[in-house]
Amino acid sequence: MIVERAGRLVRQLVLIAFTLSALLPVYVMLSGSLRTQSDFLNHPLGLPTSPRLNAYHTAINNHFPQWLLNSLILTIASVVITLVFASLAAWGLSRWQFVGRDVLLSLVISLMVIPPVVLVVPLFLLGAELNLIDTRRIVIAIYVGLMMPFSVYMLAAYFRTIPRSLIEAAEIDGATSLQVFLRVVVPLSGAPLITLAVVNALWVWNELLIALVFLQSENSLTLMAGLTGFQSRYNLNIPVVMAGLSIATLPIFALYIFGQRFFMRGLVAGAIKGG
Amino acid sequence: MTRLLTTTGRRFAAAALIMLAASACGSSSGGGSSGGGSSAAPSGPVTLTMWYWGNQEAHGLSSFLATSVSKYEALHPNIKINTVLQSTDNLMPNFAAAAKAKKGPDIEYRWGGIWALQDAWDGNLAPISDYIPAAERAHYLNSSEDTWDGKLWSAPWYVQPSFPILYRKDVLARAGIAAAPTTWSQLLSDCSTLRAKGITPIAGGVKDGWFGGWLFSILGSESLTSVDELKQAVVGTKKFTDPDLAEWWTRLGQMISAKCWNDDIGSLDLYQAQQTWVDGKSAMTVTAGTDVRKFVTQVGASKVGVMTMPKYASGVGAGKLGSTSQTLAISSWSPYKQQSADFIMFMHTPAELALFYKDTGALPADNRFDPALIDVPQVKQLYDYSQNGSPYLENFIPTDLDSKANFGGVQLMFAGKATAAQAAATMESDMARIRTIEPDLIDNFKKWTGQQ
Amino acid sequence: MDGTAVASPGDRGTGAAVRGRSRRPPWQAFLWIAPALAAIGVVYGYSVYRLLIEATHRDGKSVGLGNLRIAIDDPFFRQALGNNLRLLLTLPIIIGIALVVAVLLFEGMRGWRFHRVAVFIPYMLPVTVVGVLFGELLTLHGALNTTLQTLHLNFLVQDWLGNPDWALRSLAGVIIWRELGFGVILFLARLLSLPQNVFDAARVDGAGWFRTHWHVTLPLMRSIIGFYLVIEAITLMSWVFSYVFVMTGGGPGQATQVTETYIYQNAFASDIPWLAAAAATLLLIGVTAVAALFLVVRWGYSRRRAA
Repeated sequence: MIVERAGRLVRQLVLIAFTLSALLPVYVMLSGSLRTQSDFLNHPLGLPTSPRLNAYHTAINNHFPQWLLNSLILTIASVVITLVFASLAAWGLSRWQFVGRDVLLSLVISLMVIPPVVLVVPLFLLGAELNLIDTRRIVIAIYVGLMMPFSVYMLAAYFRTIPRSLIEAAEIDGATSLQVFLRVVVPLSGAPLITLAVVNALWVWNELLIALVFLQSENSLTLMAGLTGFQSRYNLNIPVVMAGLSIATLPIFALYIFGQRFFMRGLVAGAIKGG
Repeated sequence: MTRLLTTTGRRFAAAALIMLAASACGSSSGGGSSGGGSSAAPSGPVTLTMWYWGNQEAHGLSSFLATSVSKYEALHPNIKINTVLQSTDNLMPNFAAAAKAKKGPDIEYRWGGIWALQDAWDGNLAPISDYIPAAERAHYLNSSEDTWDGKLWSAPWYVQPSFPILYRKDVLARAGIAAAPTTWSQLLSDCSTLRAKGITPIAGGVKDGWFGGWLFSILGSESLTSVDELKQAVVGTKKFTDPDLAEWWTRLGQMISAKCWNDDIGSLDLYQAQQTWVDGKSAMTVTAGTDVRKFVTQVGASKVGVMTMPKYASGVGAGKLGSTSQTLAISSWSPYKQQSADFIMFMHTPAELALFYKDTGALPADNRFDPALIDVPQVKQLYDYSQNGSPYLENFIPTDLDSKANFGGVQLMFAGKATAAQAAATMESDMARIRTIEPDLIDNFKKWTGQQ
Repeated sequence: MDGTAVASPGDRGTGAAVRGRSRRPPWQAFLWIAPALAAIGVVYGYSVYRLLIEATHRDGKSVGLGNLRIAIDDPFFRQALGNNLRLLLTLPIIIGIALVVAVLLFEGMRGWRFHRVAVFIPYMLPVTVVGVLFGELLTLHGALNTTLQTLHLNFLVQDWLGNPDWALRSLAGVIIWRELGFGVILFLARLLSLPQNVFDAARVDGAGWFRTHWHVTLPLMRSIIGFYLVIEAITLMSWVFSYVFVMTGGGPGQATQVTETYIYQNAFASDIPWLAAAAATLLLIGVTAVAALFLVVRWGYSRRRAA
């Protein structure tokens, strides 16, 4: 009995240790953004006893609103386009049975293992030849392309589970395949569509490499690309860096609070793309 | 189309991809050929984009540019100039990307020597001497290092005395050191004295790498009889393991053994480390010459001295500062080359030269600048040094060698993971690698330096 | 890769919503698929085609496999690839810790709901944010070392990112820190879906905590562990760019250079695009081989099970 209770205590302590190690760096980030440089350096784990927002002022006066806006535009545009294209394709792949369909689908799925860095050089050359470097258009196009295999795959897997009877009933009423898609399939697919939107939004929000390569002028950077340069400019002022990090994280926490259910499912599914 | 669809799925997919690829190819070559427009002088509105760097080492450069641009725009209502400050880490990648895209800036910032010329060799820069008259160019300082094939490729903008040591008289005095070290043995013994008092002798930061190139240039120039030795090592007629070329690694090792440097040099960036000197935590630091006025003002003029690296030899750079100018180039794809050159020349007019110094504390690279305007004695000292400077070594080796052998080697030396001999041997093998991988670069280098 | 988790063998049978109507691909299907296929065609199809061209040409002239050979021989490329492989060594650690934490949460330790959210938080942070944050925390006089000194654990103080022997390990530690939460949630979901009587039976047997889980839980989790293993292996081979770029830039020396940063630096800093393309081609071949191997193994496994 004693052994068992001791074992339970040890396990409880282990869990607390892991929780602490997960939370402490995040705490340092948030509390550091509210304190002074010297206060932070002397007691990195100290409490923000007299919280100051100066660091946030500095960060916000430094392109942050613009970067935030850029990230939002890129995220919304590429996620919406991806969702539309992917659900159309997934429906096309589920509605019609044709020879080679499964081959096509598995070909698309297998693209998921290709890391973006492999594609960056040719895409950059293409973008340069089309005179699209430093435009949102090319970044959105690339994001859409990169997200497409997983999105098509995930939706196709879901569409196949839609009961056949529902679709046949609509078809007997004389609905065209577009009408079936819009009136039956999409309304039934709310949850997977939202989950997919969350996965993709997180991925775009966090993406660094493409943004770094294709967006060059300070005003067109995303939050993540901006942060890397921001770090080297403000490495003398840790609270400002921490404030910048906190600002970049807040939208994700907001997303989490709004849709915890989809968020969890989304993150788990999203990792499948390697993000 | 319908015939395609009757084939099997696999072939269908493959064919679709190929068609897409082919159409993308077609459109891409079309876009490419239409890109190279002509540059007739337009009388209509002109927008120039200028990518620059330097606010990091010449504080106030951004505000100078803002003022100067607005003055220029007032004088030339049809011209608008967008200035974009680049970050240190993204500077070279952004330029490389812009060059591949043939899109981006009209006016672009370049460090001197090979940092400008590598791009000229790749066809990314317009020969600026075609747009700036010789009589004007004659006033620009250090323009020889940016000259190749009879043309100037990038116009000197401001001088970078490379690189002075700043010392704090008050901190040295705390350790009982009356005068700053001038010889190598004095330096090493002062390091021990300062350490004994718990004071960090010299502050530096190598995490971001750049300081490795500085140390190479500062220490390496002392043992070279001329910069030709270095150029020969690049093309392979000498070796980086030869005594003259390798000695600086040994000297760096001596400084490390004497604990001359801050213990956290490996985890700090270059500019971060300099700040610790301002805070009084170390006796000396190495800064950009352009930054000296800022540091002197922060600490107090009476407390700060400026000097060159103490001498261990009597080579070309011993007791001197490297003379180099940071420059402005014009992109080869810019449709507004003359307009760009006109703005560059505008910044060399007397009023702008004076304003440049006033805002930044850095010396404009122009002999029409009136040295009487210098208001800080330490900067006057730099001005005198720059009248009799030595070549700045980092500008005479391939940039890839710099970032691999110097940045990396210095990091490893400070971490205690490479000896001086190993670092020199690595530098030689890195150079051999570049000669294999980039023979064109070496050909151009030979043409540039006359090392045929 | 999701195929393993969600669309396992079962869904093959359910088939399309409407099936068996026509063996010929109706032109309509192509219309539905076309937009997605176009996006994929440009971003993947054209890129891979162009990549192979760039990787086999220099200054517009074909050099056959010459560029690839130079990349393979390049000590910097080898170092980078080696570092990717070294990062793979963290796999057992991530999986081990994630399993332990998942089991502890599953057993309903006090406050497990709170712990579950807490353990998951690192995974919600963007990699760039994590990189910058730890870049600050891990400096020699940074928060971690200061804290260790306060706790009188001076022997643990390290120049985490400045010491070449430690830089890659520190990097791996940060990756583990962030990726762990995902594994925990994944494993926990699997545990919750297992029939509870399995555990009860073991407990009645009087088996200890460790033995119960080793002999009962672990075998039941095999497929989900395999899935997580593959995902993390692909992550460590080809998705660590943001970590490295932000935290060390590949240094000190080349101690934390990985294939991705090697490709990026050659393309955009050293300005040798053909070398970048050659390295990218090698990486592409590598991940394709790993994925194919995985599929073959899985295929063989499911056939054996079916037999």
